[in-house]
Amino acid sequence: MNVIYPLAVPKGRRLCCEVCEAPAERMCMDCTVTYYCGPVHQKADWGSIHEKICPLLIPLRTTMPFYNSEEERQHGLQQLQKRQKHLIEFCYTVAQKYLFEGRYEEAVPAALHSLRFRMNVYGLNSVELVPAYLLLAEASLGLGRIVQAEEYLSQARWTVLKSTDCSNATHSLLHRNLGLLYMAKENFEEARYHLANDIYFASCAFGTDDIRTSGGYFHLANIFYALSKMGLADTLYTKVSEIWFTYLNDHYQVLLQARSQQTDLLGKQFVNDTGLDEAQEAEAIQILTSILNIRESSSSKAPQKTVFIMKTLSMLYYLMLECSMAKEYAKRALSLAKEHLSVQEQRFIQALLKVISTEEERSTK
Amino acid sequence: MTTFPPVPVTRPRLAVLAREKLPCSARAVPRTQLIKEKDDIDHYLEKNFKGLSKEEVAAHRNSYKKSICVDMLRNGYHKSFTELFTLAEQWDALRHAAEVRSLFWRQRPLEEQPDKLDNFYHYLTRAEAAERKRYYEEVYNNLYALACYFDNSEDKWVRNHFYERCFNIAKLIKADGGKKEAEAQAHMGLLFEEEGELLEAAQHYEAFHELTQGRIWKNETGQFLNLLACESLVRTYKLLSDRMLENKEYKQAIKILIKASEIAKEGSDRNMEGEAALCLGSAHLAAGEYETALRVLRRYSEIATSMGDDLNLGRAYEAIAKVLQSQGKMTEAIGYLEKAVKIARNNFQSLDVIRACTMLGDIYNEKGQYSEASEYFQQAFSASVELMKMALMDETKVHYGIARAHQMMLTMTDYIETADIDSLNCLLSWKESRTQIKYDPILGKAKRSTVSYSQQLEQLSMSVLTTTHFKGKHL
Repeated sequence: MNVIYPLAVPKGRRLCCEVCEAPAERMCMDCTVTYYCGPVHQKADWGSIHEKICPLLIPLRTTMPFYNSEEERQHGLQQLQKRQKHLIEFCYTVAQKYLFEGRYEEAVPAALHSLRFRMNVYGLNSVELVPAYLLLAEASLGLGRIVQAEEYLSQARWTVLKSTDCSNATHSLLHRNLGLLYMAKENFEEARYHLANDIYFASCAFGTDDIRTSGGYFHLANIFYALSKMGLADTLYTKVSEIWFTYLNDHYQVLLQARSQQTDLLGKQFVNDTGLDEAQEAEAIQILTSILNIRESSSSKAPQKTVFIMKTLSMLYYLMLECSMAKEYAKRALSLAKEHLSVQEQRFIQALLKVISTEEERSTK
Repeated sequence: MTTFPPVPVTRPRLAVLAREKLPCSARAVPRTQLIKEKDDIDHYLEKNFKGLSKEEVAAHRNSYKKSICVDMLRNGYHKSFTELFTLAEQWDALRHAAEVRSLFWRQRPLEEQPDKLDNFYHYLTRAEAAERKRYYEEVYNNLYALACYFDNSEDKWVRNHFYERCFNIAKLIKADGGKKEAEAQAHMGLLFEEEGELLEAAQHYEAFHELTQGRIWKNETGQFLNLLACESLVRTYKLLSDRMLENKEYKQAIKILIKASEIAKEGSDRNMEGEAALCLGSAHLAAGEYETALRVLRRYSEIATSMGDDLNLGRAYEAIAKVLQSQGKMTEAIGYLEKAVKIARNNFQSLDVIRACTMLGDIYNEKGQYSEASEYFQQAFSASVELMKMALMDETKVHYGIARAHQMMLTMTDYIETADIDSLNCLLSWKESRTQIKYDPILGKAKRSTVSYSQQLEQLSMSVLTTTHFKGKHL
C-alpha cells in the first residue's frame, strides 16, 4: 500500500485530473464523472468548457445501461457515437472561438476535450485528430510556449504524412498553423512558404475567393507588413476585405429583399443570418478589426479603403444582431465618407444606418 | 502579330528544383542555398551532407503546377495565382466536357506542360508588379506577350482570355493617345471574327477604325494601322453580308455593303474599292434592283479601266452581263461577255475564260442558237482541260454535251418524224458509230407516215437525249 488515493475509490482505479493528468483530489458535483487535481484547475475548466458540456458528459463516462436485445444494444452504441461526435464538434468550435477572441488560456481545456474524444472515437493515428492538435498548437503559440506548439505541430504533421486520404482543408489548416509558428519564431521565409501552401490547398478545397481562404491571405499580409513591404501587404489586405465584403453583402442584400417583401402571415421577424458559425464570426471580427487598425494607423491615408472596411464591419455586426457596434461603425464610416467619397457611397452607408436603426427599434420594443 | 523569341524566363527557386526532377532538364543548384536550417555550413559539410532539404522534398512530392503556384504566392503575387488557378480550373472543365463527348482528348493537361507554366509565372508576375505601380503599358505588354505565346490551335481559348484582359487594360492607357486601345480593339475583332460572331467583330473593328483615323501609326510589321482597320472592316462586312444574303435579307446586306464601299474608298486602296463595288453589285442583283446594280458595276469598270487593271475589268464586264441577262437584254449581255472573254484570254485567266464562255453558251442556248452555244462550250471545255480540275471538267463536259445534243435534236426529230426504213437505218447507224449524222432532206420530205408519231417521237427523243447525255459525259 504505497499510494494513498484521496478520493474514496476502489483500489487500483486511478483518477486523473481533466486538465493536467495529475492524481485527482476533487470531483465535479454536478456531473460526478469529472475529476480535478485542485480548485485552480477546476475553476479553469468550468469557465472554459465544463459549464457547457457538464450534463453531456454523464452518459459518456458511465457504464452503458443494460439492454435487453441486440437491437437496443446497437442503438445504444450508435447513440453513444453520436453524442461523442457532437461533443467533438462543439468543443472544437468553442475552442476556436476562444482562440480568435484571444483567450488562449481558456481555449486549452476545450481543445484537450476535443482531442480526447477524437482519440476515443477515431483512434490514435487517425487524420481526424489533426485539427485538434492544430488547435492546441495555436493556443500554445498564443500563450508563448513555442516548444510545446512545435511538439503538437510535429505530431500533426506526422499524422498527415502517414495518412493517405487527408483532405485539402486539413492540409490547408496544417500549413496555416505552421506558418503561424514560423512567424512566432520570426523565420519569415519558412512562414511565407507554408502560408503559400495553405492558400493553395484552401483554393483547391474551397475556391480562391472563399472566406475560408481569406485567413491565409490575411496572415501572409501580416508577414509582409512585418517585413515592411507595405505595397504587397496593402494589396493582400484589400483582397481579404473584398472577399469578406462580397460575402456579407450577398447576405445583406438577400435580407433586404426579404424584408422589403411582405412579412409572412404570422408576422414573424426575419432572423438575421450570417451563415457562419461562431468561430468563423469571431475570425471575421478579428481579421477585419486588425485590418482596420492597420489602415487607420498607416501614414498614407486612403480613406476609401478605411470606409470600405468600416462598412464591412458594420454589416457583419448587423447580421450578427449586435446593433450598437454596427451603428458605431456605420456612423464612423459615414463621417469619413462625407468628407472624401462620392454621393453614391454615402447613400449606401446612410441606407445601412437606417436599416440598423429600424432593427434596433424593433429589438427594443 | 509576331511571335516572340523564347524568353529567358526567371525561374523561382522551387520551380528550379522541380524542373530538375522533371526528366527533361539537367541543371544543378548549389546545395548550400537549399539547406537553410543549418546555419554554419562549411565546405566539408556541404560536400558530404546526406539528406534532402525541405524544398527538395517539396519539389519531389508536389506537382510542378503546385510548385509554381506556391512560388507565386510566396512572393506575394496573389492576383497571378488567382488567374492561373481559374485558368487551370477552366482547363479541367474543358477536359471533362471533352471526356463526356469522346474517349480521347488530345490536349495534354496543364500539369504536364512546364514551359507553359513557366511562361505564366514569368509574365503574370511581371504584369502584376507593373499593375501595382500603375504602369499600365507594361501590364499590356506582358499580357500581350502571353497572348502571342498561346497563339496556337489548341490554346485558342487561353489566347482569347488574354486578349480580353489586354482590352480591359488598354482602355486605361491614355498616355500614348489610344494606340494600344486601337490594337486591343483589333484583337477583339479578330477574336470574334474567328468565332463567327460577326456583329461583335464589326463593332470592334469599327471602333478600331475610328481610333486610327487620321493617325499614322504602324504596327510591328510596318503596316499602317489605318489600312489594316479598313481592310478588316471591309472583310467583316463582306462576311456579314454573305450571311445575310443567304438568309435573303437583302436590304440589310445592301446597307452594310454600302458602308463597306465607303470605307474602302477612304482606305484609298482601289483594289479593295473595286471588290466592294463588285459585292455591292451582286447584292443588288440578288435583290432584284437591276438599275442600281448596273450603275454600281459601271462605276467599278471605270475604276478598273482607270487603274489599267484588266482582271477586274473582265470581272466587271461579267457582272454587268449577268445583270443584263436577268433583265433580259441578251444582245448587250453577249457584247459584254465577248469583251470579257477576250480580256481573260489575253491575261491567261483560264477560270474567267471558262466562266465567261459558259455564260455565253447559256445565253445562246436559251436563244436557240445551238451551234454557237456548243462552240462556246467547247472553248470552255478545252480551257478546263488545260487546268486539269476534275469537277470543272465534268461540268463543262456536261454543258458541251447538252449543247451538242440540242444541235442534233433538229436532225433527230426530223428523222424520227419521217419514220421510214431509211431514216431508221440512219438512226441505227448513228447509234452504232456515234458520228455526226447528216440530214438528208430528200428522205425526210419524201416519206411521212401517219402513224401516231408523236408518241414515237417522245419515246425516241427521250432515249436519244439520255444516251447523248451519257455519251457527253464520257467524251
